[in-house]
Amino acid sequence: MSEEPAGLYFHIPFCSRICPYCDFAVRTGDRARRRRFVDHLLAEIELHDGQALRFDTIYFGGGTPSSLLPEEIGQILDAVRRRFRFEDDVRIFVEVNPEDVTAETVTAWRGLGVHTLSLGIQALNADGLKFLGRLHDVDQARHSVDLARDAGFDTVAIDLIYGLPGQTASDWRAELDRALALPAQHFSCYQLTIHPRTRFSLLEKRGELTQLPVDEQGELFRLTHRYLNDAGMQGYEVSQFARAPAHRSRHNLKYWNHTPYLGLGPAAHSFHERRRWWNYRRTNPWQEAILQGKLPVEGEERLDTRALVLEALMTGFRTYAGVDLSGIRSRWGVDLQVTDSALINRLHSEGLLSLADDRLVPTLEGLALADSISPMFGAAFDVTP
Amino acid sequence: MDEIRNFCIIAHIDHGKSTLADRLIQHCGAVDERKFRDQILDSMDIERERGITIKSNTITLSYKASDGKTYQLNLIDTPGHVDFSHEVRRSLMSCEGAILLIDASQGVEAQTVANLYLAMEFDLEILPVINKIDLISADIERAKEEIEADLGLDPEDAILCSAKEGTGIDELLEAIVQRLPAPEGDAEAPPRALLFDAAYDPYRGVVLACRVKDGALRAGRTIRLMNTGKEHEVEEVGLLGLQRKPMPELGTGSVGYVLAGIKTVRDVEVGDTITEAERPATEALPGYKEAKSVVFSSIYPMATDEYVELVKALDKLVLNDAALTFEKDSSVALGHGFRCGFLGLLHLEVVQERLRREYGLSLVLSAPSVRYRVTLENGEVCSVDNPSFYPDPSTIAGCEEPFIKGSVLIPERYIGAVMELCRERRGVETNFNYLAAKRVELTSELPLADVLFDFYDRLKTITQGYGSFDYEMLDYRETDLVKVDILINGEPVDALSQLVHRAKARPRALHYCERLAETIPRHQFKIAIQGTIGGSIIARTNVQALRKDVTAKCYGGDITRKRKLLEKQKAGKKRMKTIGSVDIPQSAFVAVLKTDTDS
Repeated sequence: MSEEPAGLYFHIPFCSRICPYCDFAVRTGDRARRRRFVDHLLAEIELHDGQALRFDTIYFGGGTPSSLLPEEIGQILDAVRRRFRFEDDVRIFVEVNPEDVTAETVTAWRGLGVHTLSLGIQALNADGLKFLGRLHDVDQARHSVDLARDAGFDTVAIDLIYGLPGQTASDWRAELDRALALPAQHFSCYQLTIHPRTRFSLLEKRGELTQLPVDEQGELFRLTHRYLNDAGMQGYEVSQFARAPAHRSRHNLKYWNHTPYLGLGPAAHSFHERRRWWNYRRTNPWQEAILQGKLPVEGEERLDTRALVLEALMTGFRTYAGVDLSGIRSRWGVDLQVTDSALINRLHSEGLLSLADDRLVPTLEGLALADSISPMFGAAFDVTP
Repeated sequence: MDEIRNFCIIAHIDHGKSTLADRLIQHCGAVDERKFRDQILDSMDIERERGITIKSNTITLSYKASDGKTYQLNLIDTPGHVDFSHEVRRSLMSCEGAILLIDASQGVEAQTVANLYLAMEFDLEILPVINKIDLISADIERAKEEIEADLGLDPEDAILCSAKEGTGIDELLEAIVQRLPAPEGDAEAPPRALLFDAAYDPYRGVVLACRVKDGALRAGRTIRLMNTGKEHEVEEVGLLGLQRKPMPELGTGSVGYVLAGIKTVRDVEVGDTITEAERPATEALPGYKEAKSVVFSSIYPMATDEYVELVKALDKLVLNDAALTFEKDSSVALGHGFRCGFLGLLHLEVVQERLRREYGLSLVLSAPSVRYRVTLENGEVCSVDNPSFYPDPSTIAGCEEPFIKGSVLIPERYIGAVMELCRERRGVETNFNYLAAKRVELTSELPLADVLFDFYDRLKTITQGYGSFDYEMLDYRETDLVKVDILINGEPVDALSQLVHRAKARPRALHYCERLAETIPRHQFKIAIQGTIGGSIIARTNVQALRKDVTAKCYGGDITRKRKLLEKQKAGKKRMKTIGSVDIPQSAFVAVLKTDTDS
């Protein structure tokens, strides 16, 4: 089987401040530290066999990639262009914070060939931004989107967080209206999740923060999808919306389709064939390994068919495109229409999914229950481990 | 015989019985300091944890008294719960004296009184001991006053001790020797020994614990168990230390063990009289009472592939639990299992706990039931303890249910509350009389079915722990019985069906529906839970549909973590019972049986 082009990911762990909801591998660090980090990242690139995969996306995530200087991003891009093979239409994504967006930086990033600039807006109201511990204000957020649009990126993407404590449907609708008024072609709308070992989880334990009741979360979830779809911002995943298919995140789709990806930098994950591996989460052991000339891999897993199918269901039910039954059949030899026909009929009759073009396509109700639905499958082939 | 003392310790729960026993054992050097662990006699984990003694344990101590003689002190442990009252009685019958333990900070409590009367019923010499004198809250004078006022004993006889600190133990040992009577019996008569306990040893078979009343038991002789008529050749006799100590004989008045190659405890009946086959006694000792199952419940393995394990576990369990009975049963909802008979609810709980801990089994239990007597229109009479076998109501002429005579000992201030509790539980002929100033014995004739559900817990709650409860079976009385079924999304769950008095049907059904609604996780559809009698709905609750269960982010680093979470969920689901398309966790089957303080 000729493999689909892979994705290349860089994890830039630095943030000028750790957001209270964030459980990613992040850290603060001064300029010198950041510079050293880039050097280590450049060294990590050289540790890889550049010929194993052919890439068509490069994604800078974090953390905050805009905590690096544009020329440092340029050095990384130069290094990978030398080391790895790429498709002609490779697309480059960079996540940035609004406070780092200036006329100069957007010009520089655009000059590096970045196609999608992803802005960590998170909220478009002062209370929301304060609650989320962000460093920018609403005007800066709006201004950053305008600057990005003017710089001529193919796609300007924004991130929003909803389901904040006390947020009502009309609050959120007003927020979406403000977002829709911006010249952005892609929205990521993430429902607030309280992760362990974050400031929010501490506040929750202390009783100083109360999450929205799950039924209200559900209401907001469905509202988000209906409202944005109606406004022409078409959903394609649980949290992803785009003005047109061309604006969808080609890179992120790879995570959901078992397309190979290679991750560099601390905590970055990689996947190829049946193997998934990940780098040291903490920066020190990551750089230690690189300095010793070793791949900074902390762990790996070999995925058996059962695990691969479960992942395909888990990620597939999160997407509008649904679960690709023929793909599962041809790649791993499991025919869910045989193993789980009764369940499929039941979920269909419950209005949670439909079967079309050899795909199990979740309805909006089904999408909202993706985590409950996916583990229901595979009882038949689950018996033998 | 003069150098033997047979005694037990009776106490309110927590007054330090096990600690005192430990201290006596230590003082007599029966156990190596290094091997010493707390509450030696409570050999089961469950006992140690809950601070109750379920299985009697007996130990022989050797004590050199101040008179220069060495005495054989037999400490016979007694269980502390009403379910096991027959075991208490048998233990007391083997003693001449009892140490009545009183907590210096708590004073005389209900169970102390109850135990005292029980001990007096068996003519035991009482040795009051005030324990925990080391506590700051100890009030020895008040305890003494209460000994006089509430128990009618001479407070000057009381021995002061702290089992924890080890103070007063020498005085206590001297008092046991000097003040408790030596056993009496006819050494020349044909042997008679009361079998008061039987335990299973995987290497030697059943270990009979007995008290020799007349004559002696010797190895090599053939014994006969008078009630069952069975005969066995004695392999070994001896004293019960922490390890068994073989002796040439067990003489008159002594307490010890007999090994006779008996395969399971089912082959003997505790309470029986052991005599010699060649020279049998003419009359058995009094006190034999068959341990009868009064509570029945079906046990199913949570995972159907654990059935074989359950069979093995039950076979092993009955080797040393003669009171447990079981036969095959099966449920549409839960598959193959066993219908088990228990002495009471605590016994049921203990069996369940042992199956879980000792055999690693996760179980589902059906609602406990008493055994009803059902008369059919055609005159046939049948016993029904399993709702599945309840005859078609149109063929039933009448039903009877077992009644007990319950006896509650309480301080007088609780009379009102306890009478109300008895009334709630359909008690009749509820009366009380004063045992002493402010001490009341309240008796009531109650349907056993209504005592099964949390009566004891409720009694403890409303009397703030002062109420003690004992009961004896009375008779069968006419009742208005109905079968309540529980339906989950229209599907009956046979393991949740139960037989109840018509007046209790609706509250019971509602209790079940509410507990199930609390414990069944939300599904992606609404779940209706209904209680019905013969198709008509008498109670209903719902579990609202879950309409959102999806995490916000799922990228490279999230996928493995998330898949593992889902795999865990899947494994968890396997531990659930699926009825229709509803997954019911084991906790739901447990929750329905839990105390409902509102009812």
